[in-house]
Amino acid sequence: MIPPLLEARDLVRSFGAVQAVDGISFGLEIGETLTVLGPNGAGKSTLLALLSGSLHPSSGRILFRGEPLDPSDTSWRAELGLLSHRTFLYGALTARENLSFWGRIHGLADLGDRVAEGLAQVGLAEVADRRAGGFSRGMRQRLSLARTLLHDPALVLLDEPFTGLDLHASALLREVLQQLRDGRRSVILVTHQLAEGIRLADRVAIQSRGRFAFLGPRSALPAGEEERFYRRAVEQEAGAP
Amino acid sequence: MRSILTLAWIVASKDLRVELRTRERLAAMGAFVVLTALLFNYAVDRTEVHPGRIAAGLIWMTLILAGLLGLGRTFELEKEDGAFQGLLAAPLPREALYLGKVLSNTVLLALVTTLTVLVFALFYQVVLPRNPFPLVGVLFLGVTGFAALGTLFSGITAGTRMGETLLPVLLFPLLVPLVMFGASATATLLGGFPASEVFGTLRILGAFTLLALTAGVLLFRFIVEE
Repeated sequence: MIPPLLEARDLVRSFGAVQAVDGISFGLEIGETLTVLGPNGAGKSTLLALLSGSLHPSSGRILFRGEPLDPSDTSWRAELGLLSHRTFLYGALTARENLSFWGRIHGLADLGDRVAEGLAQVGLAEVADRRAGGFSRGMRQRLSLARTLLHDPALVLLDEPFTGLDLHASALLREVLQQLRDGRRSVILVTHQLAEGIRLADRVAIQSRGRFAFLGPRSALPAGEEERFYRRAVEQEAGAP
Repeated sequence: MRSILTLAWIVASKDLRVELRTRERLAAMGAFVVLTALLFNYAVDRTEVHPGRIAAGLIWMTLILAGLLGLGRTFELEKEDGAFQGLLAAPLPREALYLGKVLSNTVLLALVTTLTVLVFALFYQVVLPRNPFPLVGVLFLGVTGFAALGTLFSGITAGTRMGETLLPVLLFPLLVPLVMFGASATATLLGGFPASEVFGTLRILGAFTLLALTAGVLLFRFIVEE
């Protein structure tokens, strides 16, 4: 039996007295897209930081391809792509240099071709040799998208990727996210944009106060009443002891 | 898997390329060196003290203070648009990230050191030794040890509100042996004594630098991940 690509078991992460992530468990199958919805402060970004290995859990375990994550082993991160509302770009470097840097970190062999391909995919080939610092917010986010997918990751983590995007960049991101649903890649999308998140999901989780108030297939959400369902789940969790 | 040193070089070359474009840290450190040397020049009574006798100490103090300006901003670049989070999520061992930062800081400090020695030679009529290699060795070991500790502590203070104020408070006590032995060896060499006089000091500086690098490699992971 093939294990889930990623599995979280009773994940807890505390910051002092605050439990940002409080006993979350789920599995993510290969090719599956999971959207995590939740209000501000629900612990969604902390959950992603745990799953990306940039933060250690206070307790609980994360398994990747059935193996527990070893914090000292960074090799599994070669299969990880992380896109956040922050772009991870260096303003003083050109678009090409930015992608080349991240590609070299990933040890890509055919770096020049991959970078050119990535720039073309997000419509930035013509400004490849311009500094990223002079780009608009939308252009920077498109470049960041190319950075995320440059090494063809098996697991893509998206943290509020639509934040601050103009219409063109949002449309492009939507199109690329649809392309990601190719059955090879697993995606976790964290967002508070309900309609967008649900439309792209195979499964949906609603996180509130560090816990999953709901986790189920998209089809389990009542059609046309998703927003009411979401609010009720968040309120019930907020009212729970 | 690629070696840690290869990855460290990738990080360092990116940092140096950015610095070459922006010159943010180099310009601040360079200006500080020139202005400090100028102020010291007027602060010292040349009828009482021969400037050449105190030049070694002044060179080291200027170097440490100027270096703090640059080291304190080691991780600013990574905070610009969240790149630090990206580095932590990349297949980049924390040791490679640390060593890359140390390497780029060492190159910057080496440039600042060269400027410092030249400026003090000009203002204080310091006669540089004919064989520069022992002096280069002393300064290189000192600068590398300084970069090793400074990078580690810059990592600690980068996430705090009072980062740049806190850095010298934490770092200065640990730099005492470095300044003591470095300044002493520099004074010996600028005084025209043979290089054999500083071999013992060179060994101590080498051991200090090795210890600082080892501590950094071992501890950096805990600093950046929590």
